[in-house]
Amino acid sequence: MQSTEKTPFRQAMSALHTWGSLIAGWMLFVIFVTGSIGVFDEPVSHWMQPERASILSTMDYDPDSATDRQAAVGKAQAYLQQVEPNGHLWFATLPDLEDPAIKLFWQDADENPHQAKLHPDSGEILPASMDRGTEGGHHFVHMHFELHSGTLGIWIVGFFTLLMLVALISGVIIHRRIFKDFFTFRARKGQRSWLDAHNASGVLTLPFQLMIAFTGLAVFVSVYMPAAIFAHYNSPEAFFAEVFERPAPREMTHEAAPVANLGQMFAKAEQAMGKPGQFIRVEHPGDSSATFTVFGLFDAEALQGRLVLPSSGMAEFDAVSSQQRHIEAPGAEPQGAAFRTQRAMRTLHFANFGGYTVRWLYFLLGMTGAVMIASGSILFMVKRRQRALNEFGNATPRVYRTVDVLNVAAISGLLIACVGYLWINRLLPLEVAGRAGRAGWEVGLFFALWAITLLHSALRPVNQAWREQLLGFAALCLLLPFVNAFTVGEHLLTYLTERNWRAAGVELTIISFGLLALKALQKLRRKAAANKSQTASVKIEQAGVRG
Amino acid sequence: MTSKPLAISLQALAAILGGYLLASASTLFLSAILPLSKTEAVITASLFSFVVYPIAIIWVYARQDVKRAWLGMVVPSVILIAIAWLLSKGLS
Repeated sequence: MQSTEKTPFRQAMSALHTWGSLIAGWMLFVIFVTGSIGVFDEPVSHWMQPERASILSTMDYDPDSATDRQAAVGKAQAYLQQVEPNGHLWFATLPDLEDPAIKLFWQDADENPHQAKLHPDSGEILPASMDRGTEGGHHFVHMHFELHSGTLGIWIVGFFTLLMLVALISGVIIHRRIFKDFFTFRARKGQRSWLDAHNASGVLTLPFQLMIAFTGLAVFVSVYMPAAIFAHYNSPEAFFAEVFERPAPREMTHEAAPVANLGQMFAKAEQAMGKPGQFIRVEHPGDSSATFTVFGLFDAEALQGRLVLPSSGMAEFDAVSSQQRHIEAPGAEPQGAAFRTQRAMRTLHFANFGGYTVRWLYFLLGMTGAVMIASGSILFMVKRRQRALNEFGNATPRVYRTVDVLNVAAISGLLIACVGYLWINRLLPLEVAGRAGRAGWEVGLFFALWAITLLHSALRPVNQAWREQLLGFAALCLLLPFVNAFTVGEHLLTYLTERNWRAAGVELTIISFGLLALKALQKLRRKAAANKSQTASVKIEQAGVRG
Repeated sequence: MTSKPLAISLQALAAILGGYLLASASTLFLSAILPLSKTEAVITASLFSFVVYPIAIIWVYARQDVKRAWLGMVVPSVILIAIAWLLSKGLS
């Protein structure tokens, strides 16, 4: 790029970096921003569920009581037995002091997913007044790894992650002054500043960006690269059973058989593991092959600082005869260097090994990655606005316009949709009709809002589109606390007096993003004014020459 | 002589599809020859494919010759898969 003599190799890498990154940039920005927010999925979910507090303060359920836990399992079974006696899968999460509901997830015989939440005491479906139907912060996590589109989404994200690796490698190759540029930033120099911003954000965080892209692929290694698994095993399930040293799932027999008392099996499982259970699973209930699995409580605090997490414990039963099939002691270490490596990469990617310090570090590094990506996409157009390169002949202006429109919608449009999602959470009525439920509405409206920003970007001249969307984003950020106060009566003061640091942190972070957007807006305005006076003085000079 | 859009597409396909083929072939080959337990060999070989794949893409673009790029992806892939297949037949 800035080198004087260009070898053909470097030229090829420069083209690969420019065009590959242009195509990948929009999607990668989405993956990076939602992933960075997703690091805080738990505090965001907490902010988005203000009704939880009322259940927590009134419930009799005690997560530390074995009797209560066993009773909750019974309530889950009673409900599932009624709605889906012959489903493909039942899964339940027991209440805790963060989320007090008995959370149910099940698949019907055709493997369509369903979910419900039960009150921990009554076992009845939680009324809308106690449960704001929402995906909470998980929405950002799902955007990040599968774009809310299942396996296809996982593949799309994987493909762009691969392009990210290619862009990082080709970027390093073309960037000869990598160490010098470590310390170079020329502010207020137009194109040069965008290049410096792109280089500085990329170079400073290069190790993190390489790590996060590689470990992201490693998390889904069996999805992305199943060749060897299929060559050596009959099915991926057989492979996982051998890796985890757990019994392989049983084939369905299609002989009807009732599921036995899960509460009693759960108590036996807790005794066998010597610790509380947290999740339960029944595979093909109603079939004589049904199995019941209890997973032990995951204690994140006790595991801090560890990259290879030991087992939280699990016990598996024949769900019909109540016979124990398998026990995995809590604390059991994953075996094998390769498997341990893959587990460590998973933990590294999930940022859950060092509490809030590590989460904040990941958030900042991830957002810096997003800045690297966005500044690269913007630089592409800044360069070409100075001097069109006519790469597409007659179609060049149309292609440039498309890049501009997509840049605005992917960058400022996504930011608007993300903070807008929190507005939707507060403004959407608690009870809404529709098969997808309220949580589905929230996500649907997130996409609708994003689509509107694309439309806006397509209809407005590019500079106005940037300014208006940045202003919109700043307004949404800075007014969110008022919306929160008016709709559910919570605000920073209540958060701080209640020592609700997580909710306070969410709001303060959003306010600082709003202030940053205002600052950027001010810069854009000044630049626009400077350009205007420049063209004006040129015009006056020309008029003077003519006159 | 091919047109420019066609050449660009063929090169991109050599990188993306050819690269994935080579990455898969290297995974099959490594999982067959690594002197580790079966699960360990499979995991090691599969993780290593994420190193092979980006390098293959970089190589395709460094060549700037579509025919050679395709050959460079397909020929080693065929050889690697053939060896892996022979080894699995010989051992079972």
